[in-house]
Amino acid sequence: MRALVIDDSRVMRRIVAGNLHTLGFETFEAADGQEALDLLAAGEQADLACVDWNMPVMDGLTFVTKVRADPELRGMTLMMVTTESEQSQIVRALAAGAHEYLIKPFTPDAIREKLEWLGLVPVGEHV
Amino acid sequence: MTTATVDFASVFEIAQVVFAAMVDGDEGLLVPRDDGDDSDDDGAGAGIADPVMSWVEVHGPYSGRTAVITGAETAHALVRALLGDGDAPVTDADLVDAFGEIANVVGGNVKALLPGQGTLGLPKVATSLPPTADPLVLTLRLAWRGEPLDIAVWLTQEEEGGNR
Repeated sequence: MRALVIDDSRVMRRIVAGNLHTLGFETFEAADGQEALDLLAAGEQADLACVDWNMPVMDGLTFVTKVRADPELRGMTLMMVTTESEQSQIVRALAAGAHEYLIKPFTPDAIREKLEWLGLVPVGEHV
Repeated sequence: MTTATVDFASVFEIAQVVFAAMVDGDEGLLVPRDDGDDSDDDGAGAGIADPVMSWVEVHGPYSGRTAVITGAETAHALVRALLGDGDAPVTDADLVDAFGEIANVVGGNVKALLPGQGTLGLPKVATSLPPTADPLVLTLRLAWRGEPLDIAVWLTQEEEGGNR
């Protein structure tokens, strides 16, 4: 499994990627939504994208909307990973096409449980 | 102004969870300093030598900011803990990124305490805070690993139509 980690914070990309590595993912990174789209357009492939909401250049919600509008990217699972924790924001992200929503700060168990629910990690596989 | 939900207990709980999840891996290293809530004294960051501030601003039904303020050495120690880099030197880019992300996560969760749907700005880091017309409503005087660290919240409820 390959995961694209999109966050303008290098330290947060490192934290998310570290958790994903523990769960068996190979990762690559982008600092904003546009950079992520550019990577995907250049042929990089991902089974999962973990997307921050507030980023310069292109925010996560715009990225999710653009991915959902592209038939070639329809197979990619999208999980927002963000501090935006109001119910209304969660609804907006899910309505735009995100499959799951993880609120910062998160624990390793929380990210594993979300990925189990999405079927990207076997249930009960605690590494 | 309705800021009843932004009180010491709620913001301290957010801060403890953020530091446990992102920095320390366990709770208990971020504790109240003295009596903790000194919102009537000299202001956020008072008495912290060589301070560094990270903050995020919120706009919408409320305008304001949430800031994390600590000494430069402590900020560097925080960044090293966050990056897991041991005693490696902290670059300015690391400081802006990692210390800013702490304010981002604390501030984002503080925003969630407020009614209505606001928008969160991108985090900033500097050695002083820019002036603001919003009043300081809360200062948490905390200690992280024994070193002083303040978390402060400025808030104004916007009037209907977007004017103060």
